[in-house]
Amino acid sequence: MPGGGGKIEHDRDACVGHGRCYVLAPDVFDEDERGHGVLKLASVPAELQDQARAAAENCPEDAISFQPDDAT
Amino acid sequence: MSSHTNNPPEADSDSINFYDPAVAAHPQPVFRRLRDRCPVGKPIPGGAVCLSRYEDVLFALRHPEIFSAVMPAGLIGNVRPLIPLNVDPPEQTKYRKFLDPLFSNKKMLAMEKGVREIASNIVDRFADDDGCEFNTAFAIPYPSTVFLQLMGLPADDLDHFLSLKNAIIRPDAEDPEEQAKIRNESGEKIYAYFNKYLDEIEKSPRDDLLSLFVTAEVGGERMNREEILDICYLFLLGGLDTVTSTLGCMVSYLAQHPDRRQALVDDPALIPSAIEEMLRWETPVIQVVRTVVQDYTIGGVELKKGDPVTLVLGSANTDDEQFPNADEVDFERMPNKHIAFGSGPHRCLGSHLSRLELRVALEEFHRRIPEYTIKPGETPVYSHAIREVTYLPLQFGKGQK
Repeated sequence: MPGGGGKIEHDRDACVGHGRCYVLAPDVFDEDERGHGVLKLASVPAELQDQARAAAENCPEDAISFQPDDAT
Repeated sequence: MSSHTNNPPEADSDSINFYDPAVAAHPQPVFRRLRDRCPVGKPIPGGAVCLSRYEDVLFALRHPEIFSAVMPAGLIGNVRPLIPLNVDPPEQTKYRKFLDPLFSNKKMLAMEKGVREIASNIVDRFADDDGCEFNTAFAIPYPSTVFLQLMGLPADDLDHFLSLKNAIIRPDAEDPEEQAKIRNESGEKIYAYFNKYLDEIEKSPRDDLLSLFVTAEVGGERMNREEILDICYLFLLGGLDTVTSTLGCMVSYLAQHPDRRQALVDDPALIPSAIEEMLRWETPVIQVVRTVVQDYTIGGVELKKGDPVTLVLGSANTDDEQFPNADEVDFERMPNKHIAFGSGPHRCLGSHLSRLELRVALEEFHRRIPEYTIKPGETPVYSHAIREVTYLPLQFGKGQK
């Protein structure tokens, strides 16, 4: 796995609170009062790339997009 | 059948009828045939249109303005629509804004110690026996006890609640009219029970969920009695039945797959992702229903305003288009975007409670009873629609005892 970080976006309007993101990526997402995901950081450092990718790939609402810096 | 049929196609054989009780134990092959032959159509001639592909089911769940969850009252003994299930956005949103925080992941995790105590106490009752009938011994009392505690209702009322719930979900009659009668009678009792209880706590609110319903403001004003009753009615059905069914499906699966059971015993940290995969594979709530509220064409099939539509969650969750090697149960599957808790605005309100209850139950059960199988010569019995394993005879230990 390349060592770069990436950019993550979370569509709050599409989020309905499954909570997969803050369970699978606890260093990238927090949980708000309703149990919806909240981004902790806009720019993902290299060591959190796997978490960010897991959050994006497991969101049942497709509300999260992750662009790794080293994507070619 | 033509892919440009205007009317929903009907199945040419009953072999894709997932309502068949014989199918309930192993519905996945039937779902496959349903998707292959009739992805948008009627598996039972004259019945409701079923959507069975992941993509279509997901679309319908996310678009209540086309596929509405608003249902006429009376189908399950209720005299008014259930809240928030039978209310669509934007009105539904005010209820979810009130209810979501009460059932958030954080709130549920804060209950873990008490939930674990309940699980452990129930396992105590049979851990030293040779085996148990899992549904009666654990799957029924555990989530029901958690629910009563959460709501602030007396634990002594458990049996009363269970009989009311069962009369609604599985009325003991063949004749549809007789079934409706049983449901309606039970529905009246449910309203009466909660009415009496709400009268009491209106006078002296306590520190529990029902007291909060009485005092809280929802969308800027207090809820009236009918709104509160309509939430309680739904909670009674959802809180007492779905986790029971899910636990039965999971333990039955593990009893029949010793290598998978052993993997969880050896590494309990695997339990959360195993739960996600068993939710996908077993999908205990096989289907949800919606009504088409504007003419719409999906999968080449024209649906008309007013058509009832069944969204087959179990089929969506075993669709290869979404899940590579969908028939393979992989406890480390990644990614796993199953929709066992639905999708869109009606995402199961109790999903975080459910995940907590399931994890704690599998941890506690396997800690005490690491080895078990289906009792030799016996077969688990599944009900359909909501797949409760009504008879799950387990033998503890390596086998011969």
